[in-house]
Amino acid sequence: MHELSIAMEIHRSGREELVRRGGGRLLEVRVAIGELSAVEPDLLEFAWQAVIAGGPDADARLLVDWHPVRQHCADCGDVAERQPGSWLRLCPICSAPLQLEGGRELDLVSLGFSEHGFAEIGEQTEAYG
Amino acid sequence: MNRVEYRRRILEANDAQASVLRQRFADGRVLVVDVVSSPGSGKTTLLEATARTLPRALRLGCVVGDIATEMDADRLRAAGMPSHQIVTGGACHLDARLVSDGIEAASFDTPDESLPLDVLFLENVGNLVCPASYDLGEDEKVALLSVTEGHDKPFKYPAIFARAGITLFTKTDLLPHVDFDVDCAREQVLALNPGATVLEVSVKEGKGLDAWCALLQYKLDEKRRLKAIA
Repeated sequence: MHELSIAMEIHRSGREELVRRGGGRLLEVRVAIGELSAVEPDLLEFAWQAVIAGGPDADARLLVDWHPVRQHCADCGDVAERQPGSWLRLCPICSAPLQLEGGRELDLVSLGFSEHGFAEIGEQTEAYG
Repeated sequence: MNRVEYRRRILEANDAQASVLRQRFADGRVLVVDVVSSPGSGKTTLLEATARTLPRALRLGCVVGDIATEMDADRLRAAGMPSHQIVTGGACHLDARLVSDGIEAASFDTPDESLPLDVLFLENVGNLVCPASYDLGEDEKVALLSVTEGHDKPFKYPAIFARAGITLFTKTDLLPHVDFDVDCAREQVLALNPGATVLEVSVKEGKGLDAWCALLQYKLDEKRRLKAIA
């Protein structure tokens, strides 16, 4: 449900960076999404298309690097077993609390862009100073 | 195509604003509690009862978010808690900027920059999904689960129960009429979040309110003790 506000934030941040570099057009945005971030890649992609439609970055692709969580049990060691989407934090072998590592990513990783945008991009650049 | 590495948090703007809030709450020695649940679990009713139960000497305030109407802030003010309503107009969660603006607008009877409160409640928009992702600078997230919603909800909406340090089962006076298995719900919450505190509350019968308010008082004392040491 909140993927739309996440997509808007990705676009706002990417555009800000582009303007800082003299303007242009976003072609590609790579993001890292963790399993425990509560963001669904499919919904994010759908929201992304809605955010960029009709604007200067309408062709920009959203690339999602998916980061699963790694879980470790003090007694049983690394535990691979994990149901998709499961948030259980108890060891499936001995029921002790698991240590979780990673999976909380919600990061921008890289931008791909063209320096050649539309005319109005140049005007926006001036407006941003 | 030009490429540039660009490692940063997507919610960096929200996190930065939340850090400003957190510092301000630390300076003001204010305990800040984000109250989250689905619509109708009893957030406002709990806060009304909390205002009546906590010691009168404590200065309480609330910033409450709803998609529409001022009804909740009106109820809380009537219960003696200075409150400011944020009408989100469709947004499904509070973010740090909305909270910051809400505190400014509320002013809580203060002429200067300080926040003369002991406990500030942030009553989030009724929603178990989105509020889990947004840092509001709070000390505690509290999740409410009313017994009419069913004991399977922690596993079905895990993000918020995994993140909330305190979960309250509310409306326990209705337990004789519904098939809510308290032990099962508690096990689900603790499986998601082994360190969570789980309490049962019935505002109607006045049960569990003393424990809940004692926990708030403890959290406030602890924050001030740690601040004093630092």
